[in-house]
Amino acid sequence: MAYLFQIDCVRYACSCGSLKSIAKIYFCRHCLSIRCGYCVCHEVDSYYCSNCLENPPASEVRLKKYKCSNCFDCPCCFETLSIRSGQVLVKSLHTTQEESKPVTKKIYYLSCTLCRWSSRDAGIPDQTVATGSWREQESPNTYRITALINFYKILGSIEKQQKERKKFQSKRIFLQFEKFGITSTMARKRVGQLPLLQSNTQSDQPQPSEASEEIEELSQDIFTKSIDITKITTLDQRLQHPELQVENINELRPQRKQFIVKRSQRCRFCEHTVSKPDYCPTSTKFKIQLAAFYHVPELRIVACEPLRLGYSSELLLKFCNPTQHQTQIILLSMDTPMMPTTTTLQGIKEEINRENVQMGCDSPNLLPSAVRQAIVVEEGRQVNIVINAEVILPSSSFILPPRDDAAEYDDPSDSQNSQDDPKLVVWRKGNKAIIRLDVIPYVDKDKMVKDEPIVVGLAMQYGYINTIATLEHKAPQKLDLKVKLFLTLGNLVHNIL
Amino acid sequence: MLRSYEGTRYISDKQVIVLDIGSAYTKYGYAGETAPRGIINTEIKCPESRELRKIYSYKDEDDLYQLLVEFLHMIFFKCVVISPKDIKIVILESPLIPSKFRNTLAKVLFRHFEVGSLMVLPIHLVTISTLGVDTLLVLDVGYQEATLIPVFEGVPILKAWQALPLASKAVHESITREMKTILSETESTEKLIENIKVRTCFVTTMERSLKLETDNPFKPPPDVKYYTTRTFEIPGSVREKAFEVLWQRDNDNLSVPTMILDSIIKCPVDTRTQLAENILLIGGTVMAKGFASRLKTELLYLLNSELYKEKLKIKTFKFHTAPSKPNYTAWLGGAIFGSVDLPSRCITKENYLELNRVPDWVNLIDNRKDEASNTI
Ligand SMILES: [Zn+2]
Ligand SMILES: [Zn+2]
Ligand SMILES: [Zn+2]
Ligand SMILES: [Zn+2]
Repeated sequence: MAYLFQIDCVRYACSCGSLKSIAKIYFCRHCLSIRCGYCVCHEVDSYYCSNCLENPPASEVRLKKYKCSNCFDCPCCFETLSIRSGQVLVKSLHTTQEESKPVTKKIYYLSCTLCRWSSRDAGIPDQTVATGSWREQESPNTYRITALINFYKILGSIEKQQKERKKFQSKRIFLQFEKFGITSTMARKRVGQLPLLQSNTQSDQPQPSEASEEIEELSQDIFTKSIDITKITTLDQRLQHPELQVENINELRPQRKQFIVKRSQRCRFCEHTVSKPDYCPTSTKFKIQLAAFYHVPELRIVACEPLRLGYSSELLLKFCNPTQHQTQIILLSMDTPMMPTTTTLQGIKEEINRENVQMGCDSPNLLPSAVRQAIVVEEGRQVNIVINAEVILPSSSFILPPRDDAAEYDDPSDSQNSQDDPKLVVWRKGNKAIIRLDVIPYVDKDKMVKDEPIVVGLAMQYGYINTIATLEHKAPQKLDLKVKLFLTLGNLVHNIL
Repeated sequence: MLRSYEGTRYISDKQVIVLDIGSAYTKYGYAGETAPRGIINTEIKCPESRELRKIYSYKDEDDLYQLLVEFLHMIFFKCVVISPKDIKIVILESPLIPSKFRNTLAKVLFRHFEVGSLMVLPIHLVTISTLGVDTLLVLDVGYQEATLIPVFEGVPILKAWQALPLASKAVHESITREMKTILSETESTEKLIENIKVRTCFVTTMERSLKLETDNPFKPPPDVKYYTTRTFEIPGSVREKAFEVLWQRDNDNLSVPTMILDSIIKCPVDTRTQLAENILLIGGTVMAKGFASRLKTELLYLLNSELYKEKLKIKTFKFHTAPSKPNYTAWLGGAIFGSVDLPSRCITKENYLELNRVPDWVNLIDNRKDEASNTI
């Protein structure tokens, strides 16, 4: 795709202010606005294991602690471990049988194909079944921490009850966040009293930790023993397993592989989904994908004459209509109001706002408005781009015919539309057209940044057919939408004339 | 079956995410669990410029906002794999975090990710829950600085707080300096220096330390052969000296042990013995071999020095051991607290959107700073 080469040359301004290439933006058909990854609400749609592609339902995923039960990561290099099988001879233990024949038994162990780590080297016993029997190390602190959690939960519920009974003045608050410190007099009063925790004591209180004077001393052989660095874990290896953080390589234990998520994306203003992936982990398709390049005309830079300060250069732009409907394109200046407009039957132009857009509220993934939450508004992003050249806007508009997939294959000669302004439209074929514009870099010293690429900005108005039928509006609504575009044209040419 | 019943009840309530966004490492995981799911660098690849940026290297609030959006997006969808919308988040907060940071973080969580509620917990205070005690002197030696706040009967003694830039960063700088002749400037990345520190260096004894700079020091520990793209040797003296910066008695007499003593002096007399006998060390730096034993020796030595002999009548120091590794003890405190249903301690989305800021009662820190400046 050409986007790979022109990735940031043509950027569309999203409704939130982000500037992105057309490949990275969505077009919400319901509120007729451009949306992007920054201003949509991301949601976890489904989980899967990147190794075995298991995709359990979300409820099960939590029980599995968000990790695959079959696959493990190498504790050494973090690649996926493979399960190897082998055979061992086992002597039958039945003494009743006189001649106990050795029986072969299939066994399994884990091994890393990349760094050669193996569960055998680490001293983990082989398993007789391939999956399901590999046990993760149980934390030695689980019992203690569970007791602490339960204790604080009880304290929490006591505090909650007291607050509900409005006995807020009670001193039985176990963590006084509201108080900004203790004074000497308070402390003196406190000393005579029973400690707060103890007075709250119920049989549920776990034994408080005992402090000790004994401390692990630095082992004396550290001053004499030489170190083999290859046997000592790196920081990354330690942090991979926070609970253990072992020091020696042979103490590393494999960790179950974490599930990966597929995300769906929802427009934050109308709560319609703009992107929803296929549930199947192997599929790269989408159930819903309101990508902008299906709805908004695409613009590419064909050529630009070398740019000189104060001189005009020719700029060729290619427009492409991706929709099934003919569209009229008008290029406008950046300060044009961006509100969508429509032309009524009487030929009067009127602005469209949320009330008279055909929203189509019967969409299955849309919550009834009573349940819907208020929209959380995020501030727009600042556009950190300096426009340092003027583009001479054409006085006439031009038409892009609808996309015709069949026409792609036959090769009609370049067709010139008789209505085209020949000065503007230099080439056209099917749903595409190339137009010519003039660009003049600003001479203004304040606006000139040294060796910054030349950027021009313009607004594109395009015709859009809203095909979402609602009860009141059965016929498609014809609208004029606008989007701001930023074109990066390359650096100035500094040649001596 | 009671067990499975409990299991389903647990499943039905929403998962709570606990985040401790430290200046070097971020600890993330779920409330109610015994350890964080991961410990990662607090940095993110900027999507536009593709450079790796530390979150705390932000230029201004706008910059921080964008960095946090990218960083938290990664945490939610790649690390804890949960939709952030309408969930409860627990944030651990260091006392030195500027209110600008806290406010921007809350704004990102509520306005961008639309989280349901937020609980901001001060690191030192919340740590007591990992021990089941209510009197504790918590010393946190992290990356940027060492901070200390004593907690007495569940209440932080804020006027006795201490903070010094004696932590990981200072240790890294000292190793980098010592390795100058061996590693070129481009070679000595913080990642390599940190690995050298963690894998080979240790905190030496006070006895040996006193002789380090004299004419007849002890025989240094063996050199260590280290392999990166090339092989080089780490001199034994570098291994032994790495952490000395934390104990040096400079002109101001400020070191990690003096923080503890100075703090205890600022506490009411009746609380001092109890605090000295309830010390907990947290933060990644205290995990260095020999740290705790050196700290104890230094404390006992200083206690008998001219500086503290008259002022402090303490005999012993006692240390707690939390059911965790010190670099995530604060996170564990958050994970214990986060599993308790305390709506009065949470800022809800509705609340935030109405006030458009974090309510005052969370601004413990600002209050403390005023108080601290009064006492100086
Ligand atoms: Zn956007
Ligand atoms: Zn798997
Ligand atoms: Zn490996
Ligand atoms: Zn929408």
